Amino acid sequence: MNTAEALIASIQGLSATSGDLSALHSVLKKAEDSLRNNGDVQLATLEELDPSIHSLGYLYILEALTRGTVSSKGVVLLMARFINSCDAGQIRLAREKFVSLCKRFKDRVLELKDPLLGVAPLLSAVRKVQVSAKCLTALHPDCLQLCLQAKCYKAGLSILSDDILEVDQPRDFYLYCYYGGMICIGLKRFQKASELLYNVVTAPMFQLNAIALEAYKKYILVTLIHSGQFSGSLPKCASTAAQRHLKSGCMPYYEVGNRYNDGKISELEAVVVAHSSDFENDNNLGLVKQAVASLYKRNILRLTQKYLTLSLQDIANMVQLAYAKEAEMHVLQMIQEGQIHALINQKDGMVRFLEDPEQYKTSEMIEVMDSVIQRTIGLSKNLFAMDESLPCDPLYLGKVGRERQRFDFGDDFDTVPQKFSM
Amino acid sequence: MAPSSSSGLTFKLHPLVMLNISDHFTRVKTQLNPPASSCATGNNPSTGDATTLTQDFRVYGCVIGAQKGRTVEIFNSFELLLDPTTDTLDRSFLEKKQELYQKVFPNYYILGWYSTGSDANESDMSIHKALMDINESPVYVLLNPAINHAQKDLPVTIYESEFHVIDGIPQPIFVNASYTIETVEAERISVDHVAHLKPSDGGSAATQLAAHLTGIHSAIKMLNSRIRVLHQYLGAMQKGDIPCDNSLLRQVASLLRSLPAAQSEKFEEDFLMEYNDKLLMSYLAMITNCTSNMNEVVDKFNTAYERNSRRGGRTPFM
Repeated sequence: MNTAEALIASIQGLSATSGDLSALHSVLKKAEDSLRNNGDVQLATLEELDPSIHSLGYLYILEALTRGTVSSKGVVLLMARFINSCDAGQIRLAREKFVSLCKRFKDRVLELKDPLLGVAPLLSAVRKVQVSAKCLTALHPDCLQLCLQAKCYKAGLSILSDDILEVDQPRDFYLYCYYGGMICIGLKRFQKASELLYNVVTAPMFQLNAIALEAYKKYILVTLIHSGQFSGSLPKCASTAAQRHLKSGCMPYYEVGNRYNDGKISELEAVVVAHSSDFENDNNLGLVKQAVASLYKRNILRLTQKYLTLSLQDIANMVQLAYAKEAEMHVLQMIQEGQIHALINQKDGMVRFLEDPEQYKTSEMIEVMDSVIQRTIGLSKNLFAMDESLPCDPLYLGKVGRERQRFDFGDDFDTVPQKFSM
Repeated sequence: MAPSSSSGLTFKLHPLVMLNISDHFTRVKTQLNPPASSCATGNNPSTGDATTLTQDFRVYGCVIGAQKGRTVEIFNSFELLLDPTTDTLDRSFLEKKQELYQKVFPNYYILGWYSTGSDANESDMSIHKALMDINESPVYVLLNPAINHAQKDLPVTIYESEFHVIDGIPQPIFVNASYTIETVEAERISVDHVAHLKPSDGGSAATQLAAHLTGIHSAIKMLNSRIRVLHQYLGAMQKGDIPCDNSLLRQVASLLRSLPAAQSEKFEEDFLMEYNDKLLMSYLAMITNCTSNMNEVVDKFNTAYERNSRRGGRTPFM
């Protein structure tokens, strides 16, 4: 059809400079409806365009083509190739279209049960849509979801290492932190996982949502594994909605936490068995088993605070392990992970607990400190920028002005106007 | 240009003399044309109309010191007025000053005179001859007050007079003499102070710390570059590019022995420990800074976005 050919020609012609691109953008917007209804625009027409040069036009045509429910592998591969090779500058002009295209891509990939196919394209898509490294986009949680399904956790970790400072949609944020927490659990980085899940639990929300509930369950278990403590109350900064409703949905987990605090393995295992169906439904059974295993570690850790030396048999008795051999295995593992410092004397089966030998005077420590200081400097800069931007907020100025009105010391103070007319 | 002196005397110049001469010059210049814009120290020569005056006037004075054998050490100086009519220095004042200085420093006597300018000229010879009855071979110290940023050496030259046969008549002419700078501890401190003129408000602790650290940093940088030069030189000597000079090697060896040892294990340990301590302190300071920023942000955030309106009075928000 003429319109299709004309469109192709204009795409090819106007993809060079930024001025041309904005003209092309308006042309494409007008042509959008005709694209949708035009049956002639097929995949073949896409052959004439190069995704890296004519990204904007390619995007529009591809998006119109994939609107239907057809999902052959060929189309999916085409979409993957486009996402990988498109030009970031052109894409940013039509961000919503690109985001919806990527979401559609993700759905197709999941339907085809081949999530690994979509991981790399979505990773590059996230980087292209992001305006700066601190912004959260709608593609972050999708990318993490694909990483989870494909079990390639390391790829997800690269996204998680950015510090997010600006969030558009709260749902994106909840999903991002939740999936991020799960990825960290998969990589056994429980510290980062508990931070991310904590973010979800304490995020501002007006009503309870399912994401927060699931995240809270995992959060309880992760804190048990990581720090060995359980507190029945939510942190104070959690929203009121969360504080009222979260507890009622997580009763089995609360019981697990309380038994953990008591420290008796047998009781803990009884509780776990009793509620195992609940844990199965939530897909948390593996995590619960890890929590049970960590109780041994926690008990041994407590022993280091009381005793200087112990025999392996005594350790086994106190921690309710069956044999001294198991105790030795646990202690060895803990030494390797760096959780305790001890010497095992295999001749008489004695374990001597030591102090932390770190003297903080090696050159490796210098590098650690330097990186930490740099991070803190960056954080301080961000906080300062936030501090500067807050007084410009009209809400804030309105409240401050209202305060000053109460103190009428004659005509000394001008009242701050409540509304600003621009 | 004046040829080099052949008298074989070694001259040692103290920084005090240079400070005195430059101070004298600056003072007179500032008095002659006070700067329009207030410049507290007045050290920078004002550009524009003052440049013409820079070369127009000269200051004069006497240098005093002691001579031991072949070494002439110039310790101090004082100012003199040039009588414009007779073009001679004020003799009575000079003798009075000489008496006074003799009481305090019995060892010092008048060694010569100083002036400012770019080159020695003929009129200076008459002044020089006039001084010859006090000191049979006076020295002439010349300071060039023009600031030349490209020039690395001191703009101070010392001239002696020698009789050379020119056109068949023996005439005294000025000849260049080499000199070295000799310092006493007190002079080093004062030169250091003058070199780092601080801003007039005294500076808070932060700026003082920054100034102190910059000073140390530049000193270490200079030491590093000089040692690097030596290192290169020694390397070239080892390869054979430069002929071996034993006296220089001896000097280098003695210099290196005076540097503190930096390779022992104990030093490494102590150094790392102190370095880490400093890093920990800066980390602590940064965290405190961050928490105070965070506090501000949270306060402002709560004021702006708090749902419950405040009931009753409240302290004024400043």
